[in-house]
Amino acid sequence: MADQVPLSMTVNGRTRRGQGEPRLTLADFLREQALCTGVHLGCEHGVCGSCTVLMDGEAVRSCLLFAVQAEGAHITTVEGLAPDDETLHPVQEAFRDCHGLQCGFCTPGFVVSVAAFLEANPDPSDDEIRHGIAGNLCRCTGYQGIVAATRQAAGVMRGGE
Amino acid sequence: MASTSAAARYVGQSVKRLEDPRLVTGHGRYVDDIVLPGMLHVAFGRSDLARAAITHLDTSAAEALDGVHAVFTAANLNSHNDSLRASLHPPESPAPPANMLADGDVRFVGDPYVMVVAESRYIAEDAIELVDVEFEPLEPVVDYETAADSEIHVHPELGGNLAHDLPVPNPAQQEAFENAAHIITETWHQHRQTNVPMETRGIVASWQPHAGVMEVWASTQSPHEMQLVGARVLGIGEHKIVVHFGDVGGGFGQKMFLGREDMAVLVAAKLLASPLKWIEDRRENLLASNHARIEQMTVKMAVDEDGNFLAADLDQLEDDGAYPLGGPATPGAMATMLYPGPYRMGPVSWRARTVYTNTCGRGAYRGPWQMESVAREQMIDRVAREIGMDPLELRRRNVLKPDDLPYQVSTGLHFETTISPEQTLEQAAEMIGYDDFRAEQAKAREQGRYLGLGMALYIEPTSMGMGPLGTESAMLRVEVDGHVNVFMGTGSHGQSLETTIAQLVADELGVRPEDVTLHQGHGSGYGFGTGGSRSAVIAGSAARAAASGVRDKVVAIAAHLMEASADDLEVADGVISVKGTPAASMTMAQVAATAYQNSDALPPGTEAGLEHTARYKAPPATHSNACHICTCELDPDTGKVTLLRYVVSEDCGVLINPMVVDGQIAGGVVQGIGGVLYEHCVYDESGNPLASTFLDYLVPTAAEVPELECGHVVVPSDTPGGHKGTGEGGAIGAPPAVFNAVADALAPFGVYPNRQPLDPNAVLSLIASASD
Amino acid sequence: MADVVGLLAEHGDDAKPLAGGQSLVPMLAMRLTRFEHIVDLNRVDELFGVESDNGGVRIGAMTRQAAVETDAAVAERVPLLHLATPHIGHFQIRNRGTIGGSVAHADPASEYPAVMLALDGTAEIASASGTREVAASEFFESTFMTAVAPDELLIALRFQAWDQPAGFAFDEIARRSGDFALAGAAVGIGTDGAGRINRAAVGMLGVGPTPRRAPSVEAALMGLAAADADPHEIGRLAADDMDPIGDVHASAEYRRRAGSTLVGRVLASALAQLTQEAGNG
Repeated sequence: MADQVPLSMTVNGRTRRGQGEPRLTLADFLREQALCTGVHLGCEHGVCGSCTVLMDGEAVRSCLLFAVQAEGAHITTVEGLAPDDETLHPVQEAFRDCHGLQCGFCTPGFVVSVAAFLEANPDPSDDEIRHGIAGNLCRCTGYQGIVAATRQAAGVMRGGE
Repeated sequence: MASTSAAARYVGQSVKRLEDPRLVTGHGRYVDDIVLPGMLHVAFGRSDLARAAITHLDTSAAEALDGVHAVFTAANLNSHNDSLRASLHPPESPAPPANMLADGDVRFVGDPYVMVVAESRYIAEDAIELVDVEFEPLEPVVDYETAADSEIHVHPELGGNLAHDLPVPNPAQQEAFENAAHIITETWHQHRQTNVPMETRGIVASWQPHAGVMEVWASTQSPHEMQLVGARVLGIGEHKIVVHFGDVGGGFGQKMFLGREDMAVLVAAKLLASPLKWIEDRRENLLASNHARIEQMTVKMAVDEDGNFLAADLDQLEDDGAYPLGGPATPGAMATMLYPGPYRMGPVSWRARTVYTNTCGRGAYRGPWQMESVAREQMIDRVAREIGMDPLELRRRNVLKPDDLPYQVSTGLHFETTISPEQTLEQAAEMIGYDDFRAEQAKAREQGRYLGLGMALYIEPTSMGMGPLGTESAMLRVEVDGHVNVFMGTGSHGQSLETTIAQLVADELGVRPEDVTLHQGHGSGYGFGTGGSRSAVIAGSAARAAASGVRDKVVAIAAHLMEASADDLEVADGVISVKGTPAASMTMAQVAATAYQNSDALPPGTEAGLEHTARYKAPPATHSNACHICTCELDPDTGKVTLLRYVVSEDCGVLINPMVVDGQIAGGVVQGIGGVLYEHCVYDESGNPLASTFLDYLVPTAAEVPELECGHVVVPSDTPGGHKGTGEGGAIGAPPAVFNAVADALAPFGVYPNRQPLDPNAVLSLIASASD
Repeated sequence: MADVVGLLAEHGDDAKPLAGGQSLVPMLAMRLTRFEHIVDLNRVDELFGVESDNGGVRIGAMTRQAAVETDAAVAERVPLLHLATPHIGHFQIRNRGTIGGSVAHADPASEYPAVMLALDGTAEIASASGTREVAASEFFESTFMTAVAPDELLIALRFQAWDQPAGFAFDEIARRSGDFALAGAAVGIGTDGAGRINRAAVGMLGVGPTPRRAPSVEAALMGLAAADADPHEIGRLAADDMDPIGDVHASAEYRRRAGSTLVGRVLASALAQLTQEAGNG
């Protein structure tokens, strides 16, 4: 077993310090030490996308990063998207409105991915949406509600409605 | 008959889900989110060989690793369990040996033979690598088609590989065959798939010595099965197991039953008196949870000159793997019995066999006996092609029409008048624009483009009322502040029960859905949980009855307090008022406060409090039905199939929440699409699984599936709300519809697919076989 | 960077450089491979970025695929790289995955190795004893094996721009959106002033133990008038240049058959671009 190394990063606007072996994944650090249990682990090999977080603004698989690699970084998890405890982020609101989730397990990764996708593509076509969200797996919804939610959130985030 | 409650304000509405605010913000509470003081972590060491003797097993190096608390093998774990029997499995019925860890030999790749308990999962997995184990490889039984005759026995204790053999001959069938104009035969194959809930299996177990209580948090569809089997495994009273039910990340049948790993964790937690957590990883889930759909059915169908079905003869064979999850089941017997489906099929003979192999055990997967629809609907398309009739026309000719109902099926099933197969067939044909598509298809073929259309029509027995599955209870309590708590034996894991049960209660009791909270797990009355398309009908009816009981009391109390006649009162959105005089009213909270805290003011003879428990006993089955039609385009150079449109017309009776119904259908459909076109648990000839990651087991993404169009036919069932189950249907109709669409696109090549998956490789091989 | 090559020199086989981690970390997580030392390159600034290089581009090995995708110089001077990038995984993968990591990993089914081979790119490789250059044709030795020794580090890739009328196209067949290719092709076709093909570069992925060129196809194209070439006929020749391996997703036969059809289709798009440009010009 390797020595523990100190860890420090900003998670959802707060400084989080901890420690772990160099092999500790960012996902495990976020879940166990930063207590962001919204970061879900669905495969731990970088395919399902449930663990997606924003690192310095970019969507990444937190299961494929070691926590030490995020030293000093700004991390946003699904818990950090909503502006306050009473208000949902437009993507979160859209997932609820459009039944974009059933069991909810893949949802945090989808919400973060869609938020990042729409930042880069504010007005996507349906085909662009389907390929844009193809990096996240859902087993419940058949993606119908998720595509609809992405469409709705795009409109809201553009200020169109 | 169906009676929606007096004021159907919420039933029928797409009420936004009460679950969602926590789930979309990452505040769900899944089993891996549970952290207990002193909690230790479990990892399993699993066999890399399909069949082998364990010739040497030394765990001392693993035990010596810093951070390891215990290492278990069969020798120090298996003797501690009492019984591993699932509640649906009759005690007298033969079954594979009950062991949690492999004892002396391993019987499939993934068979757990060692279990490490350590301070972290990282350390536990390090320790697994330190276990000194040697195997003597033995020849495995991999091919289920020959397993029954193999000299090699998967479970030597059972003396053979045949788990079940149920022949049901019918002389009338043989007679009908003698005079038939056409007898068409084909063997239809499904291939090995698996459920893939996005949350893998997992359990946290915490033993309280002296109290003798086991506290459990589990990813389960059935908290009561966890409690009952847990009690049997540990040899303690059911009251000594407390099962907490949190959020569950999908199951699709996989989490109805306890796995051997769940039981091992329970036993080890008691032995160590330390809280233990096991979270299955994805490779374990793909290799060793449960597989499904490994089956084939040989169908002979007799048809007259005009395309009328005369009789059928069925021979079903399925693979149970080594350790079927939930015990050896006989979905094949159901598949054959249900084969006639929504048609006048005539007399049917059948045989259903199940065999053991050295592969991952079979388990329930959404529509566990959907082979009936797969074989029948694919067969009907084949018959249509053989006799030169349009497949829609052939179905129209044989489908059960309203005039045929009620209908007694030769296999013993009975359909009441509450089904609508013909209506859904016609609605789906209309939605897809059947004739226009056929014209477009003909034109496309002239241009060298290959379009196809496939349809599937089925009747599904939902909400089965037999044995342990037959009932659910609801304990409903209006609290002092007027809020409603309902305690139920369900296990919602995506079905939206927190919302739909609240809608039912809201209408029945006269409150708003957000005034109702559903509590599952500990404290609820026995029920089998959520699966088998049963919660809306069985649990829903229990909730409705409990609410109704409380409502009567609310009205009686309010009438007394308001000095009004009970008949003049109405209850809506938590306010009890005199009809036509809304000013004369009181709130549910006022009634509740009186019931609990000022009981002297209650009507004479009225029991204090506002609570009621009801248990609903389901009829043998509630039949829902649907028709799926999809279209596709096939690229003859790459073998890639692209789905163009997908329509479903379904009848699940009275819809509680249309958005939720459409969501259930869509999810099932995409699982079916995945099954036919993408997903495959491949084994090689040595029994090595080759699809052990999400890079190899291909769950469809949003880019692979079309938009789904849903139509609804509403014929209420005879159950209290008029509902029918709808959770599984999508996964029943989709496989044959997709298969038939691809077969139709391939028709110009003169090839006849009879097995899945229809992946690009298979499609191109079929085309190549035509040109050879 | 000196520290990195120093560590690699010190630990040799026991050390592994970590680039984007999109392939290495899953293998570590599943315990399919292990190293005593992982040398993280993600803070080695000089390995990042695209710079002009003698009319072409020099791309630092740690340049993220997402950065390659949006880089204007890459789009202008090495359009094939630009076209291939969106086929790599998904955007979350491209946010971390790097061009150097992809090339050094040398998965025969991945995109950048085939593009590098088609375009005769050059690898810059550093070690404690200095820097050397390896041509793409010498770089890919076998499946997952390259010319980079355990004590060496791939630090950059260099690509020349094509200084002539040219058409470029990339496509692949994958099971699902973002999956590794069952077969794919990266094509560049250049012409002389008279519209006659005088340069043909065809790289293929997924159809052999390493990325492959299609010399039969390239030879057949040379000297033809771009407007007259029959891409589908010529594409079929690619079957002879393949050495496919079957796996759980497709048989060797499938890859050969569908792959050569695909080569034809990609040739067709590259040629269409040329004739379109000629028409516009």
